[in-house]
Amino acid sequence: MKYLKKFAAMGLAVVMAASMTACGSTPTESTGESRTAVSEPQTPATESTVQDSGKDYEDCTLTFSWWGGESRHEATIEAVRAFEEKYPGIKVENTYGAWSGWEDSMATMFATQTAPDVNQVNWNWLTAYSADGSAFLDLHQVEDVLDLTQYDEASLAQCTVAGELQAVPASMTGRIFYWNKATFDKAGIAVPMSLADLMDAGRVFKEKLGDDYYPLVLGEYDRMILMVYYLESAYGKPWVEDNQLQYTQEEIEKGLEFIRVLEEAHVTPSIKKLLGDGADSLDKNPKWMNGTYAGIFEWDSSAGKFNSALEDGQEFVVGEFFQDMGQYQGGYSKVSLAFAISETCQHPREAAMLLNFLLNEEEGTTIMASERGVPLSAAALSNCQAKGLLNETVAEANGKVLQWVSYPLDPKFESAALKSTDGVYYDVMSGLSYGEYDIRTAAELLVEGINEELAR
Amino acid sequence: MKNQKVSFEKKMRQNVGFLFILPWLIGFLIFKLYPFASSLFYSFTDYNLFKGITKFTLDNYVHIFNTPKITRALGVTFKYAFMTVPLKLVAALFVAYILNFRLKGVKFFRTAYYIPSILGGSVAIAVLWKAVFKDEGLLNALLGIFGVESINWLSDPSLALFVICLLRVWQFGSAMVIFLAALKNVPEELYEAAAIEGAGKWRQFFSVTVPLITPIIFYNLVTQLCQAFQEFNGPYIITEGGPRNSTTLISLLIYNSAFKNYEMGMASAMAWVMFVILLVFTVIAFMSQKHWVYYSDDERG
Repeated sequence: MKYLKKFAAMGLAVVMAASMTACGSTPTESTGESRTAVSEPQTPATESTVQDSGKDYEDCTLTFSWWGGESRHEATIEAVRAFEEKYPGIKVENTYGAWSGWEDSMATMFATQTAPDVNQVNWNWLTAYSADGSAFLDLHQVEDVLDLTQYDEASLAQCTVAGELQAVPASMTGRIFYWNKATFDKAGIAVPMSLADLMDAGRVFKEKLGDDYYPLVLGEYDRMILMVYYLESAYGKPWVEDNQLQYTQEEIEKGLEFIRVLEEAHVTPSIKKLLGDGADSLDKNPKWMNGTYAGIFEWDSSAGKFNSALEDGQEFVVGEFFQDMGQYQGGYSKVSLAFAISETCQHPREAAMLLNFLLNEEEGTTIMASERGVPLSAAALSNCQAKGLLNETVAEANGKVLQWVSYPLDPKFESAALKSTDGVYYDVMSGLSYGEYDIRTAAELLVEGINEELAR
Repeated sequence: MKNQKVSFEKKMRQNVGFLFILPWLIGFLIFKLYPFASSLFYSFTDYNLFKGITKFTLDNYVHIFNTPKITRALGVTFKYAFMTVPLKLVAALFVAYILNFRLKGVKFFRTAYYIPSILGGSVAIAVLWKAVFKDEGLLNALLGIFGVESINWLSDPSLALFVICLLRVWQFGSAMVIFLAALKNVPEELYEAAAIEGAGKWRQFFSVTVPLITPIIFYNLVTQLCQAFQEFNGPYIITEGGPRNSTTLISLLIYNSAFKNYEMGMASAMAWVMFVILLVFTVIAFMSQKHWVYYSDDERG
């Protein structure tokens, strides 16, 4: 009896442990993420308006996916409804949700060829998931209905992978400084127009406002992007070109030194201090909201999010690029969002019509406005400008970025293996901040990690 | 003919049990056994979600033991499990022992102590935990009243793991309920006999209660150990493995490897290493039984 009991218990324990391995390999169920994907019920087609004569498309049902915030969802759903009304017989089923965890599930769908027909994609997805062109349709095949002449060659070139135009870009974006003018007023200084101003602001903030106040707040990834901006300004060459890192160990050490000095000069809080704030992201950090941290280096398209997070009495202004970082105009812009048609789509022509409606046609672009940044499509831009549909701050920031930056971005800069929280950017920047790495070790690790990813 | 019918009915009666467990069986085969077997297979390949399998190899296993990041995560996982399990068992047993007395409002307290277990490692709890332990959080404010200087719970690599442990320890409710049931089964007359012999409450607890509930302690130990090695939600939501990887458990690396880098072969290999480690600990626990676990139907009496 005793042995029977023991064996039974042992058997149970093995099964329990076994189920652990099963869970270990597919843990998405237990991530506790807040992503809420919503599938929209189909809108019934208004059959009465169908006129068979002169109809040059097939009746079909398309699936469409995107991520974003509430206002983007509302605008896109409304635009899709307008499309369905204009083209009776075409139905569109929407799937949308928040960004958190979105890429993980989309990647799985691309790999298993179960993705929706039309997808909002990140620019680096083209190389990450369709390096050989197998996931997304070459849009030149449907250019009779998708007006590609609205886009400049350079931006289309950025979406050309494996010789195929795999996506059509929605907007361009780059990083820029934003300041909370109210805090600078309190310190009795103007917002920084140069690096020298910024360094001086660190000192003034500490003296006049106290230890908790900083003129600029930078997370690990922000530090990485700012460092590249600094190095490009100083040395005048892109970070990565032709799949080769263009900077030497010594040059990168100078960049990391620049980041360390920012911390030492009380310009930016340490990573330890940031983690201690216990906020999920900078826009949710109470110290950003109340002006204790008075500056950020962020995407032009994120202006709205950071601006609306501020408490009453704070004043959000778009900053200037610093002339004294070096003799070159550093920084980069990239396609912020794009739309792609899956290779598996059964009705590519109708899918292209949907994209054209959303991105180029007056009716669609009026509804979509600047929900995905300042539109790249010339027709959409002039329509939005004429109707005053652009968010002023976003438009100002976008204008400044596109006017200043001169370097392209290598898509692998954003690969998950590098920029995720267990990637090399985080490791190097937080290791430096915690004093775990000296400049030399940090530079070595960074070079090694990037080369490893480029060699993949 | 009649004979055949009888034997059919007999067979039905014998096998009707299978019908009842069929839903579980199907679930087990599809969602447990199949992933279990396929992950073993993938662990010997270089399976990448986008590139497929190009070769069969032992590289994954070699890589695991040669990569400081992974061996460190294994170390952190051990530390986490061996901090959490004893603390949780002691807390659960202690509270169960108190709640076993006939106190006023005991039902309310039983429910209250069980609630954290229901809440689990949800996003809301993660937000609460951050609010309590951040630099300007509730705990530091409380400590401040007693003149204790602010402690960097979330950002100090030596303390962050403890914060994650506390989240699990706080959820001792289910272990507590099992202990409570066991305590109720300890015969009253044994306590009376012990009291007559002059044993105090502590002596009674260690000499009567604990020996009699060792099978339950053992059960809780094994289940909690399995749970602790699987922990994912806490560090994933609260610290994202930081600061400086001090809360990067192996489960986080498995997730990142599979769903951020799409290296399914590597992720499977790590899961299997963890499984084998856990199996070893479970076997050790079972072997140690004869030294400390007392079964009432034991021949040793």
